[in-house]
Amino acid sequence: MTAEAPSRPGLQVGPTSEFSLFFHVKPGHGEALRESLEALQAAPGYRPGDYDLPIGTIHEARFVPFDNDTRLLFATSFDGSWDAYMLDFASKPLKLFDAIFQNVEGYDGLPDLEAVKDFIRSAQLTAGGYSRNYGGTVKEIRKAERVNKAFQQVLDDPEAAELLQAPALAPLLAEASD
Amino acid sequence: MTDALDLDDIQAGALHERPSPYVGTYVLLRVNDAHDGRRLIRRLIPLLSPARSVLDATPSAWMTVAFTYQGLQALGVPQESLDSFAPEFKQGMAARAAELGDVGDSGPDHWEEPLGSTDVHIALATLAPDQASLDELVERARRAQDEFPGIDVIWRQDCHQLASGRTSFGFRDGIGQPAVEGVGTAPTNPGEPPIKAGEIVLGYPDETGGLPPMPTPDVLGRNGTYVVFRKLHTRVAAYRSYLREQAANRREEALLGAKMVGRWQSGAPLALAPDADDPELGADPKRRNDFLYRDDPRGLKCPAGAHARRANPRDSLDHDAVDVRLHRMIRRGTSYGTALPDGVLDDDGVDRGIIFVFAGAHPGRQFEFVKTQWLNDGIFIGAPQESDPLVGPQDGSGTFTVPRHPIRRRLRDIPPFVVTRGGEYCFAPGLRGLRWLADLTEESR
Repeated sequence: MTAEAPSRPGLQVGPTSEFSLFFHVKPGHGEALRESLEALQAAPGYRPGDYDLPIGTIHEARFVPFDNDTRLLFATSFDGSWDAYMLDFASKPLKLFDAIFQNVEGYDGLPDLEAVKDFIRSAQLTAGGYSRNYGGTVKEIRKAERVNKAFQQVLDDPEAAELLQAPALAPLLAEASD
Repeated sequence: MTDALDLDDIQAGALHERPSPYVGTYVLLRVNDAHDGRRLIRRLIPLLSPARSVLDATPSAWMTVAFTYQGLQALGVPQESLDSFAPEFKQGMAARAAELGDVGDSGPDHWEEPLGSTDVHIALATLAPDQASLDELVERARRAQDEFPGIDVIWRQDCHQLASGRTSFGFRDGIGQPAVEGVGTAPTNPGEPPIKAGEIVLGYPDETGGLPPMPTPDVLGRNGTYVVFRKLHTRVAAYRSYLREQAANRREEALLGAKMVGRWQSGAPLALAPDADDPELGADPKRRNDFLYRDDPRGLKCPAGAHARRANPRDSLDHDAVDVRLHRMIRRGTSYGTALPDGVLDDDGVDRGIIFVFAGAHPGRQFEFVKTQWLNDGIFIGAPQESDPLVGPQDGSGTFTVPRHPIRRRLRDIPPFVVTRGGEYCFAPGLRGLRWLADLTEESR
């Protein structure tokens, strides 16, 4: 996979961009940060196996406290270009993580979107390398999962072997043997 | 109330609906002499209408004056002020061509002169319900222009509503406009509360809760709005031929046309009239914009890739990292050229199309975002390979997916139906801003 030249913040591979924010945790807030992360992890949509993040264009997201909980990394991959969507990110998803960001420096008193943009810009670093194992958007991957589930249901039907002999279904038959 | 819109200062064009029927004239001027340019502005100001004068009753005609970056420079606006404008405006549309998808036949190399050149300084847009009123105001402006040898008229485009009342492709247009807070016009889509005034006019809070970045000095920026105009040639014969080839009969032809646009030709939205046109609905301003897409996530009624659903996805993206209200805009498109007669499938060589006009406080996150992320791209609907079937930068290999029971239809090899002939980013100041420009002196540089 080749990534576009880093002429803009956030590398893009196909339709998907990487996005990493590095924050400084407020002194003494390490424990509160851990608690807010646990609360998020226990919330519907974020629980392991829920696969239902409230933002439908994010492939995955992680919060990583490091340096003895004095720093925090937020890393994600999302569909679209970081340039175009930064304002939207500042306007919407940021609010979902309010309880977490309360524990990092620079988040207090964001009076307007320009301040929010500055907050994100000051924390954002572009990856030195970024590769992906599939090219689809979240919407396409979800569709592919639904289609495969349906296909497996078809294969479980005793009549499948005969029906898949139809010439128009040859591409499906080719995927049916394993 | 401190945030009340200063309707006595804002130019009428951005806030006043296009009349129907309408006629319009767009004129571009080059300023060869800054002094003459400033004197011309002083002469034009009495011809302009503040927004208040047109909101209650449609006047006989109204004109909007706007400037390009080069225009402000030619008038002697200080560099510090020039530097304070939006980056897209400073670069100009030709410089943004690759980003905007204006490539190939739509590229600046092929644009109509002088569009995209540094000669374009002042834009005058005049609209009226009838030809006599239009002519009178355009003539008064022309007499003003003629007084000053340092001013050249370098381009003129006349527009008029086609007899059908529709675009050259045959569709009623201009329906899905947002209402603007403080203007007093009720929203036509009850599902979309009016957008904050600062989304359209500079100097007022916008949807983010903050003030839009405003050019300096305050007197120039406040009550101004960015105006984007684009001359878009429509290949009507190619469009009709393509639909004819794809459809088994006239009924299917109309259906595919509607699927591409998101509305039937009458203006009736697929969301409310999924199976057949409903001219009564299309003609009813109270009903034809009153819908959302939440009962149609798969696009079985209105495809996610349809032009109108791309340009204004309404609630389609409520679960994505996007705030649709940051990407609304005022559009004031008008038609130019004659209609291709009904039923004709061969190109008659006539230049016809749309003068697309955008008004908004944020050319980047409004016009450019919608153009690049929603019309030119398909990532946001999970179809990265597809672009807008009607106005997207098609290269002849594109597809358009029409969800349908039992099996989706996929249109292939879509040719380009719209070709960019040129355009520019402009800034339309408030009346006080215009007076400030008229009063500039050589010493103020």
